[in-house]
Amino acid sequence: MPSASKAQTKRSSKVLASAALAAVLALTTGCGSNGSSSSSANKTLVANTTFVYKTLDPGRTYEQTGYVALHSLYSTLMTFNGDDINTPVPELAASVEASPDNTAYTFKLRDNATFSDGSPVTSADVVFSLTRLQNLKGSSATFFAGLNFKAPDDKTVVVTADKPAPNIPVLMAMPASSIINSKVAKEKGATDSPEAATKDTAQAFLDTTSAGSGPYVLERNDPGQEMVLVANDKYWGTKPDFKRVSLRNVDIQNQKLTLSRSKSPEIALDLTGNLLKDLPESLKVSQKKDNIFFAWSNMDPSVSPVSSNPEFVAAFKSAVDYKGLADLMGPGASTLGGLVADVYPGSLPAESGPQQNIEAAKKHLAAAGLSNPTVPFVYPAITYRGVDLGTIATKVQGDVEKAGIKLELTPLPLTAFLEQYRGGKAVMGMTPHALSYPRAENLVTVLGPGGINAKRVGWLEANASQEAVKASKAVMSATSDEDKTSAIEAWQKVMATDSPFIPLGENSGAIVSTPQVSEANYTSAGWIVDLADIKAAG
Amino acid sequence: MYADAAGSQDESQRTGIFVRTGKDTAFLRYLLRRLLTTAGLLLGSTVASFILVQAVPGDPVSANLSDAALGDPSAVAAFRSRWGLDQPLIVQYFTYLGNLLHGDFGTSQQSGRPVLTDLLDYVPATLEIAIPTMILAILISTCLGLLAAVKHGRWHDQVVRVVSLLGLSTPPFWISILALYFFFFVLGVSPNGGRLSPEYIPPETITGMYSVDALLSGDLEVFGDAVHHMVLPIAVLTLSTVAMLTRFVRSALLEVLRKDYITAAYAKGLPTRTVMIKYLLRAGLVPIITVIGIAFASLLAGTVLVESVFSWPGIGQYAFKSASALDRPAILGITLFVATVYLLINLIVDLLYGLADPRVRLT
Repeated sequence: MPSASKAQTKRSSKVLASAALAAVLALTTGCGSNGSSSSSANKTLVANTTFVYKTLDPGRTYEQTGYVALHSLYSTLMTFNGDDINTPVPELAASVEASPDNTAYTFKLRDNATFSDGSPVTSADVVFSLTRLQNLKGSSATFFAGLNFKAPDDKTVVVTADKPAPNIPVLMAMPASSIINSKVAKEKGATDSPEAATKDTAQAFLDTTSAGSGPYVLERNDPGQEMVLVANDKYWGTKPDFKRVSLRNVDIQNQKLTLSRSKSPEIALDLTGNLLKDLPESLKVSQKKDNIFFAWSNMDPSVSPVSSNPEFVAAFKSAVDYKGLADLMGPGASTLGGLVADVYPGSLPAESGPQQNIEAAKKHLAAAGLSNPTVPFVYPAITYRGVDLGTIATKVQGDVEKAGIKLELTPLPLTAFLEQYRGGKAVMGMTPHALSYPRAENLVTVLGPGGINAKRVGWLEANASQEAVKASKAVMSATSDEDKTSAIEAWQKVMATDSPFIPLGENSGAIVSTPQVSEANYTSAGWIVDLADIKAAG
Repeated sequence: MYADAAGSQDESQRTGIFVRTGKDTAFLRYLLRRLLTTAGLLLGSTVASFILVQAVPGDPVSANLSDAALGDPSAVAAFRSRWGLDQPLIVQYFTYLGNLLHGDFGTSQQSGRPVLTDLLDYVPATLEIAIPTMILAILISTCLGLLAAVKHGRWHDQVVRVVSLLGLSTPPFWISILALYFFFFVLGVSPNGGRLSPEYIPPETITGMYSVDALLSGDLEVFGDAVHHMVLPIAVLTLSTVAMLTRFVRSALLEVLRKDYITAAYAKGLPTRTVMIKYLLRAGLVPIITVIGIAFASLLAGTVLVESVFSWPGIGQYAFKSASALDRPAILGITLFVATVYLLINLIVDLLYGLADPRVRLT
């Protein structure tokens, strides 16, 4: 090569060196603007979470991130204080009175409650919001089916049901029952008419502007990136400590790094299960056991003569190492006493849950007349709240193999899994489950004989035991909260022996916070954390 | 359509149209033909993507409604009616196509917003990192490829080959995680992701690219913060793009280096710089342009994991979320966008051939 090529090479090297230097300079010069150290950043609470929401329209929201935001942007008739989920307390309501048979609840509204535009919250707004919720027929609407809403005067709302409904105060605390400013919403296309599902056009507006009476108002909503809430000047209750909250869409692993390094007021909403391991001691963790993992065996003989054999189900139940599964799930996980997670009324102590007994499993399998059966086992290929379902499924596979059951693990993308599961053709499988509102009766409606999920696994009133049918009906017909709780305990005991659902374990939801904040408490009420309750530490 | 220079001059004069001979009408005719073909291909892509989206196992109703709502036939019917899923497929397609011709890409089931609005939010975020990535990658890979070709077989060449092989075989998302860990967690010199620090308000939208918009608005503080957030994603994407491009540049230039006219150029005593730039690089540019086009298109279309690690709200993240939720209008919108990107880049690449190499003629 001619000598001039050396000069060319030297020039190339210089270009490369300059480029590298420029990159390093860009990286380091930006340090000064790193949000974590600026004083203005300290007035902002940063909530890191992986965004799961479609909309901020209260009538249509059903996902976690949406609920967190709604609870801060809107008020509801009732609420739960702190992390207590046993006793709903009035929020927009000044008082609540139940009829003796729990078929009617009368809510008297506060006089001082106003929307963020300064207009008073009236009973007409409440009736409009709740009727709209029903008629939008979104994911939450079915919980409100059968309820009627009336406004005898400006400050009174009467909610009636055609049968005793002691859960009404709890339903009125759900973020879905947020009260919207009906005048503003109607101007933007909202309607509570029976055709609301197709005629209501307010979603686009409500995704960019909050029309509520909560402690915050929506400043910005960039669905893939960030949601910014700022304190509501017209808030009628106790003003929040942080005037600005930035909910940021951050990958889970990144949340762990961020919280570990941050010196600002920050919280992480998704660090649960094994993700809680190896966190710095300075970080605070608030957690509650509120979500479960269960397996099912399809009871429809036309789907599988193996999985529908009750002795096979019993063999499976006896073969699983529940303690080992809980250990795999990470800190905050444990074995289940029944199907209801620890935090909810009606849960059973962990000791009353199923235990591994390989010998018993083998006997059940022999009684089923099966020898080394092979069964497909589907599950969504996801990590749910820090728990990798593939790891759990592999452990279950190993456990039941000791009893002579061979599982063919079939991980599926979530939508494909839902299709199979909801289509009723999956022979066996497992899924995580969280309650839609903090009362286990909604678990009974889905897992009881003939319930939505029970139907998918071929477990109907016709082929379920009479005890199971009776226990489910007892829950649904209980007329008081206390009676319901007792009925749910009894229901789980029957389910433990008679149902095709196998409780694999329970895991916690958690809020991890930096030392710069206090009172960042996890709640199982549905909204994960009350952002307005969080205070700057010190 | 283009013909290689191998054809005789006479034949090309008889049948061909020279891009560089000033025959503007012929060029325009060619351009028009290509645009019509592109439109046809886009129409074809709407059919193909519509069919494929229907073929995906999974029902949008199952993916979008809660268990409880799925048990309520009126809720299921309302969802189907709202999203037009109760119509026959053929009606759904022509409704989609009709709306498309009016610039309406449909409404996203996950965001409730027009798909076009979503795309206009997400695409600039991707462009903001893809454009600098491409510029850097072209510069670096050209230098490295040239170095490796010129020093063929020597240690410079070996190092470049090993490094590019390593770059190619390391998944970008893994490099992203390592980069984030090292530069954010260990050294603390980089932000933890996102496009801006929480205390800053995004600049008024002009292009949708925060750095550009901040600069246009004269807000240097926000500009600095936006650029700071761009550095790591760009560095990671540049690394993997450079790894791919360098190999192509090297092999393309090696091919040209063996040509007689290069030897002749040296024999004539032309300076190495002239040989490198006017003979070697220019001649080797045609295959490189093709790869650059493909690399740019794939940067725009599929950096989902890198975007995910850096919490960068780009088109990759939008595509992933849409696919997870079986959000058919959004999936169709993204598919059309990606198809358009590929087709336009192909068109531009074809046109650039003529500029890069005078022997290439458009016919």
